[in-house]
Amino acid sequence: MSELSTLVQFFFSGLTSGSVYALIAVSLVIVYKVSLLICFAQGEFFVIGALTMVTLTSKGLPMPLAFVLSVLISTVIGALVERILIRPIRNSSVGNLIVMTIAISLALRGSALLVWGKESHILQPFSAGKPLHVLGATLQPQVLWIIGITVVVLFVIWFFFERTTLGVAMRACAENRLGASLMGISTQKAALLSWAWGSGIGALAGMAVAPLLFMQYSSGLMPMVKGFIAMSIGGLASIAGAVVAGYLLGIVEAYTIGLISSQFADTIVFTLLIIVLIFKPSGLFGATRSREV
Amino acid sequence: MRKRLTIATVVACLFFLTGAVNTAQSQTKAPYKIGFIVPLTGYLSWLGEYMKKGAEVKVEMINKAGGVNGRPVELVTYDDQSSPEAATRHAQRLISRDGVVAIMGTGTAVVSGAVSSVANKSRVPAVIQSGYALTEKETFTFNNAHPTDFAISRPMLYFQKKGIKQVALLMPIGPLGELGSGIARKHAPTYKITIVGEEKFDVKAADVTAQLAKLRALNPQAIMAFTTGEPAALLARNMAQMGMNIPLVVSHGNATPGFLKLVAQTPTMVIVPSGKIMAIETLADNDPVKKVVAEFSRAYQAKYGEPANYYSGQQADAVALIAEALRVTKSEDPVKLRDALENIKNFAGCNGVYNMSPTDHQGTRTEDMILLTIKDGKWALLD
Amino acid sequence: MKTLGRIWWIILLLFIVLYPPTLGGMSAYKSGIMIFVGIYIILAVSLDLLMGFAGQISVGHAAFFAIGAYVSGILTVKYGASPLVALIAGMALSGAVAWAVGRPLLALKEYYLAMATLALNEIIVTLIIGLQWLTGGASGLRDVPSFSVPGFSFDNHVHYYYLVWAMVLLVVASSLALVRSPFGRTLVAIHSDETAAKTFGIDCAAYKVRVYVFSAMYASLAGSLFAHYMGFLAPDDFGVLTSINILVMLYLGGIGTIWGPALGAVFLKLLPEFTYQFQDYELLLNGVILIVVLVFMPGGLFGILKSVAERVNARGSG
Repeated sequence: MSELSTLVQFFFSGLTSGSVYALIAVSLVIVYKVSLLICFAQGEFFVIGALTMVTLTSKGLPMPLAFVLSVLISTVIGALVERILIRPIRNSSVGNLIVMTIAISLALRGSALLVWGKESHILQPFSAGKPLHVLGATLQPQVLWIIGITVVVLFVIWFFFERTTLGVAMRACAENRLGASLMGISTQKAALLSWAWGSGIGALAGMAVAPLLFMQYSSGLMPMVKGFIAMSIGGLASIAGAVVAGYLLGIVEAYTIGLISSQFADTIVFTLLIIVLIFKPSGLFGATRSREV
Repeated sequence: MRKRLTIATVVACLFFLTGAVNTAQSQTKAPYKIGFIVPLTGYLSWLGEYMKKGAEVKVEMINKAGGVNGRPVELVTYDDQSSPEAATRHAQRLISRDGVVAIMGTGTAVVSGAVSSVANKSRVPAVIQSGYALTEKETFTFNNAHPTDFAISRPMLYFQKKGIKQVALLMPIGPLGELGSGIARKHAPTYKITIVGEEKFDVKAADVTAQLAKLRALNPQAIMAFTTGEPAALLARNMAQMGMNIPLVVSHGNATPGFLKLVAQTPTMVIVPSGKIMAIETLADNDPVKKVVAEFSRAYQAKYGEPANYYSGQQADAVALIAEALRVTKSEDPVKLRDALENIKNFAGCNGVYNMSPTDHQGTRTEDMILLTIKDGKWALLD
Repeated sequence: MKTLGRIWWIILLLFIVLYPPTLGGMSAYKSGIMIFVGIYIILAVSLDLLMGFAGQISVGHAAFFAIGAYVSGILTVKYGASPLVALIAGMALSGAVAWAVGRPLLALKEYYLAMATLALNEIIVTLIIGLQWLTGGASGLRDVPSFSVPGFSFDNHVHYYYLVWAMVLLVVASSLALVRSPFGRTLVAIHSDETAAKTFGIDCAAYKVRVYVFSAMYASLAGSLFAHYMGFLAPDDFGVLTSINILVMLYLGGIGTIWGPALGAVFLKLLPEFTYQFQDYELLLNGVILIVVLVFMPGGLFGILKSVAERVNARGSG
């Protein structure tokens, strides 16, 4: 096999992992954009979405229906969590809220363990098909599905937040809570909706990505950490930034593994992250103030 | 309301403090207690399930036959959560508070290390099952799992027979990978094998085609990846994706129904070293192992509705070994038990025929392992 | 942040001193639980200095825990150094690392700082795994000897318990002194309004780095104590999950109070001793208990105890 095909394979490898990171980063950014909260429970919605779809398809439901239902179920769970657990302590310190999301992630993970057990589950790819061959390298077609879904999600988000009244109102809440509420916008409803969005997209990410991995109740942690990294690189509140950063992260990882060292790839990637944070503190695309004056 | 809540909290805190420090239970009751530390949660929980089921079936079998020295055997089980720190606490609790005669379990080398440390300090026998390599200093620890050496040299024997000389290593970052890599390099010359290259991968990765592309350029005739579970399945899948039609040898931890399900549809030739329990029908009638595995498998199938597997059988062996030591010494004295364990000879178990000694705390040989592959979604004997 | 009345100090001291022979029954297991509790109290308090007082988020504090543990482990196992020397070396290295990365890292704000500290934690752990020849890699470092000072070896669990708790009291007392000193008050000023502090001519960066160094050194101390107790080290116990656990202890107990995080550590380390019986349900149970505490006790456990104490005092003087 030629040198070129190996280099292209690195790219495809990065594209594959990157697509996982990018989509989950989007769900993290959505929650942050509106409720200014870093949600540590996103990894669990990722898993719940995927495993719900596994259960529904194994019961015979056609894939598109299972897909929609799983998203709906996760969205409802996310909204319930916000309403019951987050809203009462909404005015606590940021730290308190973050720790609450950690506690929620424990509870959700514990529930997933009870519902789905400890084994790993397989989800069928959305389209049966042979791997694609380009320049001697191969790519699973599911990755194209994920990219496609990411694009659609980006479009839907853009449309919602820029073109609908509700969406614009939610953005107003994020930018100026007092002003927004003076204008009659319900900040509570906005927070609820942002969680619903976040959990829905998180679940979507899980379902789209599941055919690449083998999902079990604890599979959410690693993708979530990578999602956080992508979010930091991309700029906290930039959705497009999160997507680009996610793919960038995957590709840099793959080329580091391929060209430098597979043993120390993680060390190098994390060092690069610190360097990016120090020199470009608001992320590659962020414009918010991130340095102390 | 707040007042009641605060009182409740203070009481709860007191409860924790005292509840966690219950006075030591008496150990003079009838049953022999065996401490059992298993990964019931965490990424190895599927393994912990098999271990637990295997131990429970064997204990039931023993108790149904009248117990040991007329006394029943009882398991005291704790979840190690794959954390060495948690396992340390559990081991100490088992010894000090629960009064166990021996400890068994732990699914991974690092947790075994922690438990072995406690066992040797407290001078209580521990019969563990993992890739943990014992040193001479650990006089109280036994490891009845097939050591990594067997799991690597058995496939290499097969490679030698088939004329496979160039092998690449794709090892997981972590203890299994370190073990597998070191041992593969150690044994390769014996079987006239050259290690053409080695790459590492993250067990949580979504894709390893980058590493595979690098290795493919070195023209290996087979890949050895000492990894268990989903990562092994991912490797098989990625190799199929890239059209790499060479065999993939994975760890013996994959001789389980769970793994079979994960790779049943993958065309890659996956080789799994295993114990004879996974191919009972192929065993000769005069093989001492056959009777043991057949009996155990029947009891397991009756209780759980699924055939016994490698890890359950291995756990049953641990119970049997401890029970045998108890039977011989008729005492709970830990040093006597340790000595009895060391003197077990010609003891047939699921994993082979055990011959222990002061210098061999493992007991079986390379020939006690077989090689499995997958045909038509089922296990098939390869060699 | 209240001062503890002298009577409470005496009660606490009595409890610590009398625990092994009474409730502890001189057993290795029970001393062991309290040894782990003590180690994590030191960790939690060290993080509170950084997060509660200086207001700097760290989701990677286990990095310094790891440095202390592995320096102690490696120097005693591979180079035969005395545990005391290794402990000091660990603290020195941790302090040096904190000093080196402190300035650029602490200039970051909130979330970005959190990510940077997480990255630092991961770098340390992956280096430990990668440098197998030095650290034993992922398979772990074995045979770490018991802690000893010239003339005395702490082989016995009960002796080690007293050593650890002597350290705990030292750390708690010195931390309290630190936060009440002019240095500590300046930190609080920086935390509440950094811009204003700067207009007073305070070199905020220098103060933040200094507290980061203290915090790192205490965490390293905890790590060394951990290493000599476990006798065996594996990178699994030093990752981001451990860092998050310490964070949770802080908020559970009541951040910014020193006593709060200590309580949080006690609670979180004793909780599994209660929930382990529930096997599969343990994970869910831990999450639910945490949620309940967070929702109903926003001031943390220390907040609850404080209001109880206030009520008792009010009753007494009223």
